[in-house]
Amino acid sequence: MRELIGRWLHTRAQRLPLDFRVLHRQFLLRVVDLEALSIEADIPSYLGQFAGVLIMISLMHGFGLMVFPPPPGPETWVYEQARIADIQLVIGLCAVLMWDSTFPDKRDAMVLGPLPVLPRTILLAKLAASSSVLGIALIALNFASGAAMSIVFGGGSNGMIRFFLGWSFTLLAASAFLYGAVLAIQGLGALLLPRKLFLRASAILQLAAFGGVLAGRFLHPWLATFSELTNPAHRTLLAWSPTFWFFALFNHINGTLPRELQWIANRAWIALAIVLTASLSSLALCYLRTMKNTVEQPDLEPGASSLAWLPRLGSSLQSAITLFCFRSIMRSRQHRVALAFYWSIVFAIALSMARKMITEPPHRVSNGLIMPTILMMGFAVVGLRGVFSLPISLKANWMLRITQLRPTSDYTAATRRSLQLFGVLPILIVAAVLAYHFRPLSHAYQHVAFLAVFGCILVELSLIHFDKVPFTCSFMPGKTNIQVIFWGAAFVCIILALLFGAYESQALAQPRQYAILLAWSLAAAVGLWIFNRIHARTAVLYYEEVLPEIIIKLGLTILPPAQAQPKP
Amino acid sequence: MLELRRVSRHFSGIPAVDDVSFCARPGQVTGYLGPNGSGKSTTIKMITGLIEMTAGQILFNGNLIDDDIVSYKRRMGYVPEEPHLYNHLSGAEYLTMVADLRGLPARPASERIDGMLRLLSLYDDRHAGIAGYSKGMRQKILIAAALMHNPDLVLLDEPFSGLDVGSALVLRSLISELAARGKVVLFSSHELDTVERISDRVVILHRGKVVADDSIERLRSLMELPTLEAIFSQLAVEHDTDSMARQLADLIRA
Repeated sequence: MRELIGRWLHTRAQRLPLDFRVLHRQFLLRVVDLEALSIEADIPSYLGQFAGVLIMISLMHGFGLMVFPPPPGPETWVYEQARIADIQLVIGLCAVLMWDSTFPDKRDAMVLGPLPVLPRTILLAKLAASSSVLGIALIALNFASGAAMSIVFGGGSNGMIRFFLGWSFTLLAASAFLYGAVLAIQGLGALLLPRKLFLRASAILQLAAFGGVLAGRFLHPWLATFSELTNPAHRTLLAWSPTFWFFALFNHINGTLPRELQWIANRAWIALAIVLTASLSSLALCYLRTMKNTVEQPDLEPGASSLAWLPRLGSSLQSAITLFCFRSIMRSRQHRVALAFYWSIVFAIALSMARKMITEPPHRVSNGLIMPTILMMGFAVVGLRGVFSLPISLKANWMLRITQLRPTSDYTAATRRSLQLFGVLPILIVAAVLAYHFRPLSHAYQHVAFLAVFGCILVELSLIHFDKVPFTCSFMPGKTNIQVIFWGAAFVCIILALLFGAYESQALAQPRQYAILLAWSLAAAVGLWIFNRIHARTAVLYYEEVLPEIIIKLGLTILPPAQAQPKP
Repeated sequence: MLELRRVSRHFSGIPAVDDVSFCARPGQVTGYLGPNGSGKSTTIKMITGLIEMTAGQILFNGNLIDDDIVSYKRRMGYVPEEPHLYNHLSGAEYLTMVADLRGLPARPASERIDGMLRLLSLYDDRHAGIAGYSKGMRQKILIAAALMHNPDLVLLDEPFSGLDVGSALVLRSLISELAARGKVVLFSSHELDTVERISDRVVILHRGKVVADDSIERLRSLMELPTLEAIFSQLAVEHDTDSMARQLADLIRA
């Protein structure tokens, strides 16, 4: 079967022009930035891992639905809304990760400009590459859950087929809308703004889009019943929420949409038409107009002075490494995006707590404060540590190597400073603000004090065997099995945070128990600090992950001739 | 004095540098020559400590460099063959980072960086991103980074690459000036005319082996050849260059 599909795809692909096929393959590989990987990068395996995560989610949803089907009624609508929001989240994240990949950049203009390749071929190849990634995401995330939904909610064989086709079309339309919206915003920005301003605005927009996509999923309210959906109080929400538009569109196609909600489905069609027209026309204009402008832009852009106000962050080495980290995060698109993945979870949690702060009266200190802030601290520090492992420019590392004049422990201390400044400190500030909503205030701020110690423990855990300068060591592809590690770690963290939150709630009420908790935590932080310091004394900084040596035994035995041919 | 004793480096069993021995003395400019792939950059990387030797010893002022690599690095300045820099930093930020990594005091380092940027005509672009710098500007940043700590040993691998005529002339004089101030200068270049003008002695490498190590004057008289180019062609160029050019022209016509 696999061979048949492969042969069919190959035959179809052979009919496409050669220049398109070559460019499509190249652009598909560039969806993941090659500079982030070492020489042994294996991008198909990355895409495979990405699809694997989505397939796992789809299977979990499908299995859950088949085993525990929701009762007919409001639950069905909520389930549909949540699944549409899920697909929008995934497609939105993909769109943010592939932010600039559809637009012509300077490299394209310089490399492809002198070659006899039409701009439209480049545009189509880029669009096809982006669509391939989005298609993989869409199919992987929907194949099991979509089938299960059709079986459970379809009702009869005809209903099942209609449900499945309608559902698949809706998800396709929702994805096209979201990706098209991202392209349209970028395209219009590229056309209307001067290039320098556009590049700056684009970086900010990318982060805003990341936050928006996550906030849109995690803060989105569900409307379960007909009366809720027709309540005038919810009309603005329905009018501006793409999730509800496509929910209505699906039910319209499926024949299950009440006439009173038809206007919401119409909005989906209108929005889709506007977005697709805007994105395609702005993209086409970009390729016709800005490719030439890109080459004509001066290479050298005068930058703003930054030397006058530079803070000293400890020793000169600590200062150098900390500023290097800060600048790498702020100026490297791929590092910003990778960090934004973790920080947007922090952002989503903080936002939901802030919403309560505004709309509800102060709460008692409980798991409602403790667990989210612990999770925020966890994601912030672990995310930062993860991003530190992505190199920024391997070839430029020679400078760090020839200026390595101090022991490894000094470099570890500099990395610790960076983790504390950019991981722990922002969360402590946010937690201190959020804690103001909880009573008694003394308990809330006792928790913030504990959170600081917890942050230090996480920093020390992150530094165990981290014998490298942040952003300088090559990343070994395939070494990290993201499905298992990320989901496993997230699951364990949530369980631990829940259990620990319950314990800390009790401890806050009893000063002695709180003092013991704090003392143990401090002891753990100091113990880990000593461990890392002792390790760093003998450790050697490294700049390249090395594959473990594998010795393969062939099992061949060479016998001496006398034994090999025994005498009869 | 920098001394290499029977230094070799093999990559997957293939010798890139094979049994190389020579000395570079203080107050002298030592030119290190060889065709592409002869092992010049590999030797210089071994001298910097960036790659390890397969065999041999490198000594600086009579001490093995591995015995106290940190103090050796403090006294060494290096301009690499390729201008690989952290592109997300500006020129001034990069140099400040290097000064911090070298532990130079902040204020004098800042003054020295400003001075170097002015002399190298980079001051106006010091806050611009290195990503936008031309090859020559990047080369100047490398030269500034290599010299800002006043090293005793200066290793220059193709230092003239990308420099305009004016900057190249300044660098040429600078190399001679550094040697005159008692520093050990080892530099590798394909610009034979420049090497001939400023080097006190040359080491010529061919297929990883030293084929000549002497003063240019002595090589001229020994080989009875008028120029360094002629000496180099005889020792290290295997092909008939005119014939090769004709073959290439014929190939593209076909």
